[in-house]
Amino acid sequence: MATTTATLTLISDILTDTLSLSTTATLTKTTTSTGIEDTAGLSRKKITSTAKGTASGQVTLYTADDFAAIPYLYIKNIETTAGYRIYVYDDSTSGDPLQFQLDAGDWGFIPMHGDKTYKAYATNDPTTVEFMVLGQDQ
Amino acid sequence: MATTKAAIQLSSDLLSDSLSVSTDTKCMKAGTTADGLDQMRMGYNEIPTGTSFDLLDATTAAVDKANKVYICNNSTDETYYVIITIDAKPIGRLYGGDWMFIPWNCDDATHDLEVQAYTGTNDIMWMCFHEGETLGTSAD
Repeated sequence: MATTTATLTLISDILTDTLSLSTTATLTKTTTSTGIEDTAGLSRKKITSTAKGTASGQVTLYTADDFAAIPYLYIKNIETTAGYRIYVYDDSTSGDPLQFQLDAGDWGFIPMHGDKTYKAYATNDPTTVEFMVLGQDQ
Repeated sequence: MATTKAAIQLSSDLLSDSLSVSTDTKCMKAGTTADGLDQMRMGYNEIPTGTSFDLLDATTAAVDKANKVYICNNSTDETYYVIITIDAKPIGRLYGGDWMFIPWNCDDATHDLEVQAYTGTNDIMWMCFHEGETLGTSAD
């Protein structure tokens, strides 16, 4: 059985004493302790669209129901110029609501609900995104 | 300037060679690499089943600002889970032991971040590093 782990470390000096948190999740099939077995692989793509909707150039991060619940999405905006922002939107829902925004250098890790298609557009053409989906194919 | 650093390490042996991805970021105010987020909220809540609760209220002050949210389901039963929604649209499902770190988009003031528990009462730990919040004037 494969073992996949995700560890988060958060350190901050916002408070008067240092905040330090570390947590690890083992990625398993839903409601079991059996490890996930599939991944869409680590991808690096250029986003060339500066709008959501019908314009071309958005990058599809995940297609609805491609994986059984729950697929884990790792995403990173690898640009270094502040303001080169990536917007992630829900392409399955009317109005394509925006859900996440990643400025230069930002990353996110999201155990997704799995039934929505997520796409990305950016404020600048091109903007490079790195992403990976891990989970259980179906 | 406050410094908040978030790092992730992803490791797996599901490929024929080891997979290891790690990265970190300093949590900055929107549109800058020179000024870190300087406000935060945090909490630990017991979430009963049957109702969707607002975990974080979106405000007009947060629209298009940087909001980094960490949520961890501290439930120990692997069948317990919560569904996280933004403006009533599901974005994530956290089973016991799972966590998320999201750059929450406050596209408008309706983009509340909500949580609903399933199977049983779930224990949730959360933090939000953000900017631009002004406390409301007391009404009484």
